[in-house]
Amino acid sequence: MQTIKNIYRAIYYRLFRLDDRLLLIVAGSLAGICSGLAAVALRLSLESVIEWLHPFRHYWWAFVLPAAGALLSSLYLEKVSKEGAGHGVPEVIYAVSRYGGLLRLRSSYSRLISSFLTISSGGSAGPEAPVVMSGSAIGSNIAKFLVLNDRQRITLVGCGTAGAISAIFNAPIAGLVFSIEVLLGEWKFVNIIPIAIAAVAGAQISQAIIPEQVLFNHQPFNTMAADILPCLCLAVLTAFTSVFFTKSLRKIGGFAKKSSLPLWSRAIIGGCLVGVIGIHMPLVLGEGYHFIQTMISGSFSMGLFLTFVAIFAKIFATAMTLGWGGSGGIFAPCLLIGSLTGVAFHKTLFFLLPSAGIASEGAYALLGMTGLISGVMQAPLTGIFLIVEITGGYETILPLILVSSISATMSHYIEPASFYLKDLIEKGQFMRPGTDARILSDLSLNEIIETNYTKVSENMVFRDFIEIIKLSQHNFFPVIEDETQIYKGIIQIRTIRKYALEPGMYDMVFLNQIMDTEVATASLEDDLQDVLDMMDLNNMDSIPVVENGRFVGMIQKTRILDLYRRELIMQTNI
Amino acid sequence: MNYKLLHIFRNTPFGRETFLQSLYFCKTIKAYPVVYIPKSDKFLMYFSNDAVQVDLDHSYLNSPETAKAHAEALFEEAGINPMFYEPKNFTASTLPDVSTNFDYLCCPRSVSDLSSKIGLGHIGPKVRRIIKHATFPVLISSPVFKSWTGISVFFGGSENAVKSLTLGLKIAMASGLPLNLYTLIEKNGEDYYREVVQKRNMESLVDKYVTKWHFYENEAFDTMLYEVPHDSLIVLGAYGHGIIKELLLGSKMEIIQSTVTNNLLIVGPNCTISLQ
Repeated sequence: MQTIKNIYRAIYYRLFRLDDRLLLIVAGSLAGICSGLAAVALRLSLESVIEWLHPFRHYWWAFVLPAAGALLSSLYLEKVSKEGAGHGVPEVIYAVSRYGGLLRLRSSYSRLISSFLTISSGGSAGPEAPVVMSGSAIGSNIAKFLVLNDRQRITLVGCGTAGAISAIFNAPIAGLVFSIEVLLGEWKFVNIIPIAIAAVAGAQISQAIIPEQVLFNHQPFNTMAADILPCLCLAVLTAFTSVFFTKSLRKIGGFAKKSSLPLWSRAIIGGCLVGVIGIHMPLVLGEGYHFIQTMISGSFSMGLFLTFVAIFAKIFATAMTLGWGGSGGIFAPCLLIGSLTGVAFHKTLFFLLPSAGIASEGAYALLGMTGLISGVMQAPLTGIFLIVEITGGYETILPLILVSSISATMSHYIEPASFYLKDLIEKGQFMRPGTDARILSDLSLNEIIETNYTKVSENMVFRDFIEIIKLSQHNFFPVIEDETQIYKGIIQIRTIRKYALEPGMYDMVFLNQIMDTEVATASLEDDLQDVLDMMDLNNMDSIPVVENGRFVGMIQKTRILDLYRRELIMQTNI
Repeated sequence: MNYKLLHIFRNTPFGRETFLQSLYFCKTIKAYPVVYIPKSDKFLMYFSNDAVQVDLDHSYLNSPETAKAHAEALFEEAGINPMFYEPKNFTASTLPDVSTNFDYLCCPRSVSDLSSKIGLGHIGPKVRRIIKHATFPVLISSPVFKSWTGISVFFGGSENAVKSLTLGLKIAMASGLPLNLYTLIEKNGEDYYREVVQKRNMESLVDKYVTKWHFYENEAFDTMLYEVPHDSLIVLGAYGHGIIKELLLGSKMEIIQSTVTNNLLIVGPNCTISLQ
């Protein structure tokens, strides 16, 4: 056993630990491969079960299928894996923001299983966000195994995400971009290389197991100058649709949270409603890739009115699935709603201007998808590269950039937080590295407090205190009760000058007569931000920290500034 | 000092015993107990290299309407000001993040498995992971409240054992209670263990605070466990290995905890103990 340990240590420390970049590249590739395998496994199992269930969809009782799936999914999450419902991307961002990307091992498989149950039964959701959660957890746990530091762990979380996205869509650039743009939020050289390699590893795994090259095939599109104005209008439309979609998800989900029904019964209600809609409009069921393909290839048969109805139906079905106990992501619903929006827009334009020389319906389906992805996630680059890669063509790149940028900007203007970040921002838990809030949250009061202050007795006579001042460098002296050591107040040098200048008073004044008892105090439980607010409010440069009635130390603004600079350098200079 | 012990409150008769133990521990070493009354059956603890989700058994959520009053009554009985902990951050709406910024944590042998909660069951996997990653010692309380009148440190010469000794000395200084050292001589003679103490510059402290250093031959492990006073707090180091690793490698800690009924104060590999 000892020999094996020694060999492991020799390899680990002499090969990998010599160069952290090499270690990150190797570990990142591993994360990419593992998360790619997880993504492919989910995709293949979904395809086979959806195909197996397909003949049963025509029966009248088929509306219970999504309910059964959502029920099993919620029971699995609540009773077996003991995790919350939903897609998990905010959880990953939260872990990256606050805890150096620490994620539980169970997250690497729990969302895969629950979303498989939800989506395969017909729930309106996508498998992409669950694989992001899974990939991130895989990366985080590889980092844990290798005992890496927070920065390296965050990079591996990004690697896992990139591997998962690139495997499920066979889109390595989209994986890289999504990982950095949405999850990590910082474009850094040290991050980009391992994440890019992980994205390639994920895509290679996907290609090796599923030979098809692109998710959606289509004929080449011809976009021209005449499409620019319609593209601008479509961008605005997708921005509004994105905001409506985001708000519906939150409203309907919030309504479910307020109800006193247990999760499993909410999942049944949500699933049944989705099933009922699905009987009349099958495109709301599952991930809906088949319908996206028909729209891109221009063979979508729904009329204008029904297409608009389908947009609202899909939004409602997704909100009922995800908000009422099902599990899955919003990527695939975004793609479907976006392509429906694009098709509806094209049909309207064609209805109003039959002779307008614009690109085909399929091209507008693509543009709609980009607009919605960019609007909902407020991640324009992800929107552009994802659509380019899953359709395998660069011919629409210019209108894609246009629609994506305008949609992201407009939706940001209407709703400043993206769907993934809204809850975190509202709770004050969203902190990107290098930001003020993040730096302050990373500094603990324990490292800021200076404890080497001389405590003085409240019954001390001023003459004795003068002797203490002579030997001390400090300007503050906490006053305590003799027997109990309880903090009574503080003496500041600047406020006792008048006594110091009158030697006649030295034996007449006791410290409890001149101490300041009104000074605000902080507690070890307080956040640094609260302490700073308190200091600003009371115009203080130093504040005493008192815990359980005992003086612990002082916090000084100069000390905070020193540590702030150190932390800022650590978070940004890597 | 302002040492704080986190206690996860269980509103049951068994939970009361555990809490009485926490209160006694805190009174003896002059620390402050901070009580967390869980509102959901799980919580997360983020350590430096692991996120441990603690899935509590359902008894932790018993009668939530009386939990706080019961805890306050026990605080009052002990003459300690009640202090409660409320999580500030949540990983998910039903998954609070419980701070790891405490000096001690009190928990029974298992927090997730109802079947082994009374009696000397095995240490549960969550408690093991907490021991492994925590920077603070974990107080594993006896099944029923029992006061202790001395401190027994199991000292095997390892890095963890040195930490245990440091903690034992710290508690002896704070409480004024007698401290006994117990060493099982495994490979080397007595001198080896004395040298370990000497190298750490702890000789004078050991001379001052340790009442007696007991040495036992390797085969006399059971004798040693029997001779440890039943009313002492046992301080020992542990690696917090998982169950599989423990089955493969064996564990003295597991034997000790399943044999003696004393309160155990366990020092994990990531604990930082200072005499200051």
